[in-house]
Amino acid sequence: MTAAQAEELLRNGLSCRAENDTFAQFQVGDCVRARVMHPQTYTRLPRYVRGKVGIIVKDRGVYVFPDTVGQRLDTKPQHVYSVQFAAQELWGTNAPANDTLFIDLFDDHLEAV
Amino acid sequence: MSSHHQAESDIALRVKAIELLLVEKGIIDPATLDTIIDAYEHKIGPHNGARIVARAWIDPEFKHRLLADGTSAIAEMKLTGFSSEHMVVVENTPNIHNLIVCTLCSCYPWAILGLPPTWYKSFAYRSRAVIDPRGVLQEFGLEIPEQVEVRVWDSNADLRYLVLPERPPGTEKMTEDKLAGLVTRNAMIGTAKVQSPAAPID
Repeated sequence: MTAAQAEELLRNGLSCRAENDTFAQFQVGDCVRARVMHPQTYTRLPRYVRGKVGIIVKDRGVYVFPDTVGQRLDTKPQHVYSVQFAAQELWGTNAPANDTLFIDLFDDHLEAV
Repeated sequence: MSSHHQAESDIALRVKAIELLLVEKGIIDPATLDTIIDAYEHKIGPHNGARIVARAWIDPEFKHRLLADGTSAIAEMKLTGFSSEHMVVVENTPNIHNLIVCTLCSCYPWAILGLPPTWYKSFAYRSRAVIDPRGVLQEFGLEIPEQVEVRVWDSNADLRYLVLPERPPGTEKMTEDKLAGLVTRNAMIGTAKVQSPAAPID
């Protein structure tokens, strides 16, 4: 990378948005479960949400899928959603009743409830 | 920070040795490194985020656009850039306190806030911010009342987050520049609130 390329990268960044739209598996308001899976390879699905039920609050658009891109496989573009989980769903009844957690999950991380 | 009287640390020596090798082998260009280091030392930092917050405080229409689509509103100010390509801005209110974390690594809006502080990258912060955000905030000196909802945002994917802190009382007459001077990095991560100015403003 040259100094000029570095400057351009700092200024314009590196978008992970995919060019083409793909079918959204879920809609805002849907109840979803984060899939229970334990891949040996890279994933952006943290363990603490696996198996937990949340609500889709926003469709963030279509992005390349780091779980496969990280292995230099297909870019597998798909929708990313902001999913809201109740703190009690994640951590049990000792967690404050009104506290919540938002996390960005890909179609392949989710299943319908 | 190193001085001639102080021996360099093992890590500094190791980095120097690796850098020398990479330059010698033609893998990296010292001019490229200088460009990147200069950018993060002199141009990019929390002062960028502070300008965004101050603008949102004085311009309700900008604030509306910022909360609706952080990326394009920040692009209006030409403050987007590497590792801030897809921005989400979340607003603190008397009823909601937002806290940002990346549990998987240390994702952080570099163009807006500069490089992340060491504690943001620590295992302790990354694991505890999600399971016990109120406990973590307490250690930062922030007591969140029971009735206030704590919202934790895990920036595990490609979106980066910025907290829009509450404008402190006593700042009604301050200019945008002066307001920006009040906004701290931690307030934009959610581990602090913006404090009222110490002295009354004329």
